[in-house]
Amino acid sequence: MSEMNSNNEKSDKLFEMQREQGPILEVKDLKVDFTTGNNHAVHAVRDASFNVYPGQWVAIVGESGSGKSTSAMAVLGLLPGTGHVVGGSIKLEGEEISHYTRKQYEQILGDKMGLVPQDPMSNLNPVWRIGTQVEEALKANHMDISHEKRSKLAQALAGGGVAVKSEDDETFIGSKELPELLKAAQAALNEAGVTGDGAKNKMDYFTKEWVPGSETRWRVADDLIKAGVSDDKAWQIAKQYVTGSTMTDRIAGLLEEAGLPDAATRARQYPHEFSGGMLQRALIAIGLACRPDLLIADEPTSALDVTVQKKILDHLHTLTDELGTAVLFITHDLGLAAERAQHIVVMYKGQVVESGPSLDVLQHPQHPYTKRLVAAAPSLASQRIISAKEHGENADALMEHHAKGEETLEKSEHIITVSHLTKEFKLPRKKEMFKAVDDVSFSVKRGTTLAIVGESGSGKSTVANMVLKLLKPTSGTVTYEGKDISEFEGKSLLDFRRHVQPVFQNPYGSLDPMYSIYRSIEEPLRIHKIGDKKSREQRVRELLDLVKMPQSVMQRYPNELSGGQRQRIAVARAMALNPDVIVCDEAVSALDVLVQDQVLQLLNDLQAERGLSYLFITHDLAVVRQIADEVVVMQKGKLVEHATTDEVFEHPQKQYTKDLLDAIPGGHLQLGLD
Amino acid sequence: MSDNTIQQAKASSRILPGQERYVAPAGKVELQDVDSVDESMPATNMWADAWRTLRRNPLFIVSAILIVCIIFVALFPGVFTHRDPNFCQLDHSLEKSSPGHPFGYDTQGCDVFTRTVYGTRTSLSVGILTAILVVIFGSVIGALGGFFGGWVDALLSRFTDIFMAIPMLLGAIVVLQMFRTSGSIWKIVLVLTLFGWTQTSRIARSAVMETKNLEFNTAATALGSTPGRNLLRHIMPNSFASIIVIGTTSLGSYIVSEATLSFLGIGLPTTTVSWGGDISNAQTILRTDPSVLFYPSAALAITVLAFIMMGDAVKDALDPKSRTA
Amino acid sequence: MGKYLLRRILQMIPVVLGTTLLVYALVFALPGDPVKAMFGDKPVNQAVAAQIRAEYNLDKPFIIQYLLFLKNALTLNFGNTFAGQPVIDEIGRAFPVTIKLGLMAFVFEALFGVAFGIVSGLKKGKWYDSVILIVSLLLISVPTFVTGFLGQYFIGVKWRILPVTAGNDPGFIDLLMPAMVLGSASMAYVIRLTRSEVSSNIAEDYVRTARAKGMSNRSVIVRHVLRNSMIPVVTYLGQDLGGLMGGAMISETIFNIHGIGFLTYQSILKGESNMVVSIVTLLTLIFVVCNLVVDMLYAALDPRIRYA
Repeated sequence: MSEMNSNNEKSDKLFEMQREQGPILEVKDLKVDFTTGNNHAVHAVRDASFNVYPGQWVAIVGESGSGKSTSAMAVLGLLPGTGHVVGGSIKLEGEEISHYTRKQYEQILGDKMGLVPQDPMSNLNPVWRIGTQVEEALKANHMDISHEKRSKLAQALAGGGVAVKSEDDETFIGSKELPELLKAAQAALNEAGVTGDGAKNKMDYFTKEWVPGSETRWRVADDLIKAGVSDDKAWQIAKQYVTGSTMTDRIAGLLEEAGLPDAATRARQYPHEFSGGMLQRALIAIGLACRPDLLIADEPTSALDVTVQKKILDHLHTLTDELGTAVLFITHDLGLAAERAQHIVVMYKGQVVESGPSLDVLQHPQHPYTKRLVAAAPSLASQRIISAKEHGENADALMEHHAKGEETLEKSEHIITVSHLTKEFKLPRKKEMFKAVDDVSFSVKRGTTLAIVGESGSGKSTVANMVLKLLKPTSGTVTYEGKDISEFEGKSLLDFRRHVQPVFQNPYGSLDPMYSIYRSIEEPLRIHKIGDKKSREQRVRELLDLVKMPQSVMQRYPNELSGGQRQRIAVARAMALNPDVIVCDEAVSALDVLVQDQVLQLLNDLQAERGLSYLFITHDLAVVRQIADEVVVMQKGKLVEHATTDEVFEHPQKQYTKDLLDAIPGGHLQLGLD
Repeated sequence: MSDNTIQQAKASSRILPGQERYVAPAGKVELQDVDSVDESMPATNMWADAWRTLRRNPLFIVSAILIVCIIFVALFPGVFTHRDPNFCQLDHSLEKSSPGHPFGYDTQGCDVFTRTVYGTRTSLSVGILTAILVVIFGSVIGALGGFFGGWVDALLSRFTDIFMAIPMLLGAIVVLQMFRTSGSIWKIVLVLTLFGWTQTSRIARSAVMETKNLEFNTAATALGSTPGRNLLRHIMPNSFASIIVIGTTSLGSYIVSEATLSFLGIGLPTTTVSWGGDISNAQTILRTDPSVLFYPSAALAITVLAFIMMGDAVKDALDPKSRTA
Repeated sequence: MGKYLLRRILQMIPVVLGTTLLVYALVFALPGDPVKAMFGDKPVNQAVAAQIRAEYNLDKPFIIQYLLFLKNALTLNFGNTFAGQPVIDEIGRAFPVTIKLGLMAFVFEALFGVAFGIVSGLKKGKWYDSVILIVSLLLISVPTFVTGFLGQYFIGVKWRILPVTAGNDPGFIDLLMPAMVLGSASMAYVIRLTRSEVSSNIAEDYVRTARAKGMSNRSVIVRHVLRNSMIPVVTYLGQDLGGLMGGAMISETIFNIHGIGFLTYQSILKGESNMVVSIVTLLTLIFVVCNLVVDMLYAALDPRIRYA
């Protein structure tokens, strides 16, 4: 209880301080224009206003093209190309910065405002080592690399427990002194009478926590005191052995703080040796290197797997809380925004349509656009289903897809059966084979949807390609209507292709840019020599109606359509031959939520009308809830769990499935049902 | 996380000034249908787009006008001069310009204007024919390597490396020194093709490899298309832009190479009227009468400039990098 | 790095063999008769022709001819000229001059090409960018020999700033104009390449990240824009160094410099096929070695290649 009280006390204090200090960032009526070739002004942001207070997370939510990133870049003075601020004001700590020159911005970037950018792959320079790129940030702002810098807010908040630290107490551990420090700690523990397992545990804890270039003297002293060493002795050791870090220590320390394991070695590597998640951690380290008061995080995790996303955001949250950093968080995911931020700002077509405390906005959306967004967000939808069930209401009405009951599922026969499917790839310059898919078996029942869920590298797309007979399995079989597809050849293969059709992930890659929409949809008819010119045209018109696209798009080309429209064209093309099975490989992953929702609706309607069977590959469990009857969870090539959708969501059996469920953003929000 | 101070603050309902609930007034922001098709825009495709970009590019306009003029001169030299380019009278040697002979006479007493006009056809034919052959040969080799990969690619790549290691001019010299006194322009065209196809092949190869991995090929296969059909119907048309760009740009360099070879005296036989040959003849009198040298040089430079500018303009319009919409 | 070097060298061997075979075959196996070509317009003396055939092993099967040529080439024995001088001696005399000329041209093209390219790329759309672009277009369009004549006429004859021709054993001043003429077209290409690299790199995400760190404009440009732009530029320059040696023929002929190019040209005129093949083989080898050096440089500049 006392802890609770002290927490409440702290939060009161924080609130008071925030109110006293005023907003760290104050954006009022911001207008940003882009000038096009013929001097036309495109209004990217119109009259946007929002505030960020010290130590607060504020999220800007919107679909692509809503102006959310542009607003953030305008704050940083880093608008791309012809973009420029044409009106309104941007105040940082009360100072108007919108008219700043590049030189003036150089003064405040890095140590007052930091950036964690969107795409980890393109935001680190491939020719410099990771450590060097962290070092650049420290050097550019003349950071003191041997002492921690804490924001006013953090200092004041820490006030209760340990008295305000003097400069020296914020000295970092150096890697050179670390062994001696540990030795002295061991001796001190012995002296204090801590021995045996107790001492060992304490020493393990010290080894883990005392990261050179990150942990400071007072923390060392604090840790020692908590372990039972006397105050005087603890401070004596801390003062003697914690004497400051080198540049290399500090870089490793920063990377370690951002959650990069084995940071000292990693710092010497190049970006191409890192995975996306690791690169993102490095970018977080860079963004926080100079302890900015405001961090702008522009979709920092949207390129990453959900479990990695959760880990990184949790970590970022802990870090910014500790440092008292305010975060302006840009995201397209309403659930994620509401989960992470206290205040959300919803943008649409360059304007703020709604803003307010996040839960309030989510539970009682007022603006029609926000209402749409809340209704469409898959993470929230699945949340709604759960709460509806808890309230004993009929959850079916909330599901896009009326999942088949257990009995009907049992009865329906299998149209596609995958048994003991294995695929091995040879890795370049490595002897052993890499098992992308390892002994996977499942079957798709006629007229139902089976979803394969997994993160990148799980082998889910490889399974899809083998089911489509685009890849040859190393072993195991795929049968369609009871026939082994590996035996299909020539005419029988053509026949198989006619019945099993794909819709691929990338809406920008799956249509040939040189083909008109008419030619794209007509292509399968042509390949299978179906009908004459006139009847084919008739069929294309029907198909366009089917996917609810105007017939006028026939003469257009893919580059004129949006991602969602292209995906609907891809569905029309897949439907051209009246298939039985459609394999959707991440078919909605690249789309904005509203558009994604629309395509999912379309797929549902088609299934209801024509009794199609879907094999639905996705990384997003939230979407699965909306569409699938059965779920197969894959991890590192292996099948982890296979059950009906309800089973998986309500009683997940495996830890990995639980982790996946846990990582659905917004999953822990208390949602009202209005 | 749960004992986090800031998390706690979040849970509280206290609202900081400026963060009160705000909803945009109805009608301020017009809500559109989700993902509706904008039917007002005229339908376009890549080539129409490229054409629109080209039409606005001054580089293109200037070079297109120049090229049309040059082609006209090459096709109908008789419109511009009634004389025979090989009709020379020594007694006119190095005479200055006079009415009907605006560029004067060279050492041999030939009319410089007539020779310059007739030289157009030679240079242009060599340039265009070489470019066509190079594009055909280079793109076939490159496309095969890029499409099949594996040992076919390895073999074709080494084959390309071998030709690439010989600089075009040197290779041409080695071959041409043996056919110095004979042959038509085809001799030059073939030799330039022999040593010039490698660059086009490289570009075609990488364009095909890049296109091959795009999803629409996989999609076509899943629709029942065969690899050969994919190559012809999807991959080649999509790689065509890069090949056109390199073809146009290098056309100018083939004209330069022909002139250089003729200048060195191992290009076209002296009986064929060519700018390179005339420049070579004129170099002996550089100090006394540079104007004889000037006219064919200027004609050559303008022609090459026109094609290089055209190549730049086409590249701006078709470059795969700038094409992604 | 060592492994990478080894792999590149191994890959080079078939290319060198293939290239020399190709050059050799072009001269000695094509329908044209090199021995006949040696006589030029004069009637062919059968006895002398037979002697020449024997000397160059032309009476033996083609593949044997080639292997013997290769063996001799390895020991730098390229046979004798008509005048009885060892070919290698002639080449040895001419080579230093061409190297001097080539290096001067290289420095000229690299220095000015990169400098103008950077200025142009950083200030795209400014008036001096347009001027630099137009001048580089002109330099590419005008053939070297025309540039050479223009230089000779204006700088040499009319304004008398630099000597018109170089002659035997030329010094720095004598070679200045020829080197500039030789390097001018390449310089224009370097300008264009550097310009497009700089202007596309400046829009890269990592440049924005660097700015967001608060780095000064100068260090952002140097460390992120220029450093990355230099990768393809250095590659081009390296490949061009070999090309310059080959291209030296034109400027050496115009400026009467007794280097490799001049020697080649004279040999062509005199019909000394043997000399021509030897020189072309050597230049090709230089070209291949330059490419190897470029690969190494590329790997040194771009860590993605180094560990690939």
